[in-house]
Amino acid sequence: MDFLKSMQIAASGLRAQTGRMQVIAENVANADSTAQRPGGDPYRRKIPTFRSEVDRALEANTVTMGKVRQDPTDFRTKYEPGHPAADQSGYVKYPNVNSVIEMNDMREAQRSYEANVNVISATRRMIQRTIDLLRA
Amino acid sequence: MVSPLSAAGAYAKLARLADPSANMPKGGSGVGAGGDSAGPSFGALVKDAIGSVIESGKKSDAQSQAMAAGKANIVDVATAVTETEVAIEAMVSVRDKVIAAYEEIMRMPI
Repeated sequence: MDFLKSMQIAASGLRAQTGRMQVIAENVANADSTAQRPGGDPYRRKIPTFRSEVDRALEANTVTMGKVRQDPTDFRTKYEPGHPAADQSGYVKYPNVNSVIEMNDMREAQRSYEANVNVISATRRMIQRTIDLLRA
Repeated sequence: MVSPLSAAGAYAKLARLADPSANMPKGGSGVGAGGDSAGPSFGALVKDAIGSVIESGKKSDAQSQAMAAGKANIVDVATAVTETEVAIEAMVSVRDKVIAAYEEIMRMPI
């Protein structure tokens, strides 16, 4: 049934946004994770990607999480000579996570999720109205 | 899967059963000859529909149980339960309509 198909497609969007939210949570949680050894690299920010996928059973394009890529931008450095992860000159590398960017990504994930939920509830209303035709 | 479309199909079949002119060319005796028409009888159709509703009910039950066990995704549970709900609603309204038609016939003064 076509209505249920659109529901399944929107559900794939929900799943994808859940995965994106997971990556954002990782970034936020690891915003201050430094290296274990002096001069080492800290946590590198992850970027979620999405790709369209043809669902053979549904005969429609659904969305799935693609590979989670790493953000190649430079790390933040702070002068903290006493830190266990500090290099010879006393600088510590911190992850390239910017909390403002993460917050915005989170808001975006939230809004996309809501949009997909709205598709599902609108579809449900359409089905309901169609069934109501029988009851009239 | 029970859908409003298959419900509409059911009505078309019912209308054919109730309409004597559709059965007359085959030499049937009106409503009584319903079982001999080319398509499946209305009873078989409803049976099929109930079967598929039960099937989707089982699916959503399995999802809910997996969810309770902490294995399923909440999205899968929500979609499975919604599908079942829609299927049951469609079937129930077809049933109500058929029973209403039956009662109408029973009220007919002879």
